[in-house]
Amino acid sequence: MGLGVAELRQAAWYPVASSDDLPFRHVYHGQLLGQELAIWRADDGNVNVWENRCLHRGVRLSIGINDGAELKCQYHGWRYANRTAGCTYIPAHPADAPARRITNRTYPVKERFGLVWAALSPEAPEPELAEAGFALRPMPVNALPEMVLTALMRRRLAGGAVTALPPLGAALVLEGTPGRASYFVQPVDSARAVIRGVVDTEPDLETLLAFNAALSALRDEVEVEARAIELPEPIVPRYEPVSVELATMPDLVIGRQATVRVKVKRRWQAALDVTGIELVPLSGHLPTFQPGAHIDLHLSNGMVRQYSITNGPGELLSYTIAVKREADSRGGSAAITDTLREGDVLAVSEPRNNFPLRRDALRTTFIAGGIGLTPLLSMARALQRQGLAFDFHAFARSEGHLPLGPELEALGGGVTRHFGLGPAETAAQIRHALGPHSFSRHAYICGPGPMLELARGLATELGWPDEAVHYEYFKNTHEIDTSSSFVVELARSALSLAVPAGKSILEVMREAGIDAPSSCEQGACGTCLTRVLEGEIDHQDVYLNATEQASGNVMMTCVSRAKSARLVLDI
Amino acid sequence: MAYTKPIAPALRDLWHVIAASQEVPMGGKRITTLFDTALTVSRNERLRVARNDDGSLLPVIERYGCIWTSFGSPTADLFPIIEYGESDRRNIIAGSIGVNVSAPRAIENFLDMGHFPYVHTDILGAEPHTEVKEYDVEISFERDEILATRCRFFQPKAALTATEGQDVDYIYRVPHPYCSVLYKSCPADESRLDVIAIFCQPMTEETIRAHLMLSMIDADNTDAGIRRFQQTIFGQDRPILENQYPKKLPLDPRAETPIRADKSAIAYRRWLSQKGVNYGVIPQQLS
Amino acid sequence: MAITLYDFELSAGCYAARLMLSILGVRYDTVSVDIYPGSDNRSEWFLKLNPEGTLPVIVDDGFTVSNAHPCLIHLAGKYDATDRWSPIHDPLVHPLMLGWFDFARRLTASAGVARTGVAFGGDADLPALQLEAHRLLRQLDEHLWFGEKQGRDWLVEGEHPTIADIAVFPDVTLSEEGGVSRQDYPAIRRWLDRVRRIPGFVVMSGVFPAAPAYSPLR
Repeated sequence: MGLGVAELRQAAWYPVASSDDLPFRHVYHGQLLGQELAIWRADDGNVNVWENRCLHRGVRLSIGINDGAELKCQYHGWRYANRTAGCTYIPAHPADAPARRITNRTYPVKERFGLVWAALSPEAPEPELAEAGFALRPMPVNALPEMVLTALMRRRLAGGAVTALPPLGAALVLEGTPGRASYFVQPVDSARAVIRGVVDTEPDLETLLAFNAALSALRDEVEVEARAIELPEPIVPRYEPVSVELATMPDLVIGRQATVRVKVKRRWQAALDVTGIELVPLSGHLPTFQPGAHIDLHLSNGMVRQYSITNGPGELLSYTIAVKREADSRGGSAAITDTLREGDVLAVSEPRNNFPLRRDALRTTFIAGGIGLTPLLSMARALQRQGLAFDFHAFARSEGHLPLGPELEALGGGVTRHFGLGPAETAAQIRHALGPHSFSRHAYICGPGPMLELARGLATELGWPDEAVHYEYFKNTHEIDTSSSFVVELARSALSLAVPAGKSILEVMREAGIDAPSSCEQGACGTCLTRVLEGEIDHQDVYLNATEQASGNVMMTCVSRAKSARLVLDI
Repeated sequence: MAYTKPIAPALRDLWHVIAASQEVPMGGKRITTLFDTALTVSRNERLRVARNDDGSLLPVIERYGCIWTSFGSPTADLFPIIEYGESDRRNIIAGSIGVNVSAPRAIENFLDMGHFPYVHTDILGAEPHTEVKEYDVEISFERDEILATRCRFFQPKAALTATEGQDVDYIYRVPHPYCSVLYKSCPADESRLDVIAIFCQPMTEETIRAHLMLSMIDADNTDAGIRRFQQTIFGQDRPILENQYPKKLPLDPRAETPIRADKSAIAYRRWLSQKGVNYGVIPQQLS
Repeated sequence: MAITLYDFELSAGCYAARLMLSILGVRYDTVSVDIYPGSDNRSEWFLKLNPEGTLPVIVDDGFTVSNAHPCLIHLAGKYDATDRWSPIHDPLVHPLMLGWFDFARRLTASAGVARTGVAFGGDADLPALQLEAHRLLRQLDEHLWFGEKQGRDWLVEGEHPTIADIAVFPDVTLSEEGGVSRQDYPAIRRWLDRVRRIPGFVVMSGVFPAAPAYSPLR
């Protein structure tokens, strides 16, 4: 009798909550056909319907925290972004960016008539739902969903018209109610349902009470019927296995393809020599990023340039970047600034997170020089969202040169702007901003090469350990000495390659058919990081810190070389 | 749904806890459940454990403040906890608490440190100090147990007397599929270790009674104070344990997403698989 | 002024007293009474304090008050300068508050007993207790839902929570420990968020803090 679970699953969209059930900063505990759901509304209004299980150890996300942009699991504090359900932070390992493909299962969602609708199968055909309507008080019933629908039909006003609303609904006038309503039966589980009624005109209190009383009476009647029969067992939910990569904890490698197509929604003058650009996906939303991440922009002239994402957490409808027109541009920033138009379509890579943000500091200091503000802005926004303490120092040639002024303003009180300072004054300000290192303080510094070198010296002087200061170089201005020649052995591929003078290890590997990832190819961004098993490395990058370089375990294959005759790489 | 398959030999021939000694005083008796089987424990001239279904008697010992029995032929004595026998120890059972969770999930939670700032907030840990630093795990085949050493976690207020935070060192040991022992530096005497143990009584695959045992060097606090602290900590874990799905621990490495901080949990799941444990777990599918 | 609370950490009734003390910002000393497994509440010294052998007990400058609801009335009456927590002088509110105390007692006798039954054993008829608890929670959900429709955030009419909310809160928020799920009661779940956001709110084992409330400023 009635529809089987399989048919019900494929069939359709069902209402799973009222819109009123999703106030800000709340997580609603729902369920559909045995599948538990964590449903929450982000501060931007977007409704998320996710499997109610953290991927880590299976704890219900419905007991977690909705902070407006991310859902935080109650067990270990893992954070999942609005829209994508991608994991953005794992507190147990604050120095690492989580494998971006740790993504919770999401379900498609629509809001209509004051109800929230979801489908378990992405192939469910688009529902035909009218726009208008007002939701009544939902009525949970411990009975088979089919029984509930039958009871609704049976209790209709004699002679009244019935319109079927498949798969489990009907529009009719229920006995004892003031008028016609559309009743949708949500099949929660094999023997549990919720009656979600909708009326055409906004109901007053009396009307709501009347409907509630009638539905309560109906519920009581149906539950008596249900107790008289043998109820089916609850539906056992299916837990999808985790991908092999995630189960074995390797690092995530993003290839060189630009897999995301976007359109330029907006461009504007963000500062005297800086263009702000907002990129939207051609459909859906964009991939999860972590604060500090950058994307590769693939230009029509064949060039590839890296830009930091400035967005705050959970903002995945568009990426906002800022492009500085470089005087000594190799052509990339000029191409963007001069020729990119609103409406243009481009390809970008998925975000790379080589500059991760620790969220376990008692206080974080951001020092931004010019366009270096971009990744730090995203980081500061994440800390602000979580109520974590930070100071933000923005250095620029003049107020007119300061990019993203209004966005900086929105960070609130911890922001100090420094304009037109010479090297000595800059040093004094940085020294003051850092101060002597104390327990659990971290600093993130991004800006022109000379400023970073200055900051390095000051940080060391002030006693900041290597692991507490994080530098992001947008470019490596050092002259790369490619005069050495040596051999690299690739341990996993069992290949031995000769690297002659004038060619980088990366180039040689590519020529041998190895698709090694890279981004800036200057030794600044960290993408081509490779583990080294043997040999003495000639570091020429600006990405690794002194400790990392001294360890001899890792190198940047795009610019670094070998001091010994041979290097063995873990590829 | 009662469990009907035979219990794996690795489980059947072990001692399993069924009561705290204080729950069965002289002349008293208690009905309880182990592996879906109702048992009666009574103490008259001697301690006695009998199955309720057929009246047959089961072997029984009393160790660490608890009563243990077995459905098979336990070959050895229970695993050792040397500290328990030291003369100046306070040996306390903080409680025997029923929880709707499987024994292996409860053990894994006991081994975990990453949850301290979120579940035992301002007691065992606090944001933003959330890092789980690298630690060592060994599965010892001679002793048949798992040992996690060099574990440390930053505690904002490690002892009642502390004014600022510091790393607290822990050692974790799993000498039995359903029991775990943790060792923590003793505030009163840094050269010695305080011992906190959880002995899980698997009543059904998805429900347990957790018997909490402490062996401390502590001249100052009352029994009630020590119990209160342990009950508070355990009570904080309860909503997490009871909201975990599936309730039985999945042994398939592809069931959940581990991180480096989960080394001891990964070792524990592998150890259970190797032993062929088949109660309270979802065994690995062999395809 | 010396206040002593005789307290058991895992007791829902003691939690109500601890909540009120914290919300009102009242300093107090705690004496732990080990109900389980120690049965200290049956000991001679405790029975002298409260012959019923129940908790919580507050001794306030020599004045002894036993059990959760009397403790709430005493604390609000003596320490609430705003007079909003226990508006006993309002004839339209006072009877309703007492009605909620009644409700809270029935909830303790069902959901509360189920909870201690699961944790500490005994021969409680769990299915019957859970059924009764669900009946009460359905009633509560309906009351709260219609309250929201009329702009009322709390159990009793008014802009401010009252001791009625504090009296009912513990057994509701701990109901799942007795096997009583709150999934079918979304209005209750929203009320639980609101209670947890009351300034001075404190957690207990089994209760987590709510997410900070939404404020439109970024």
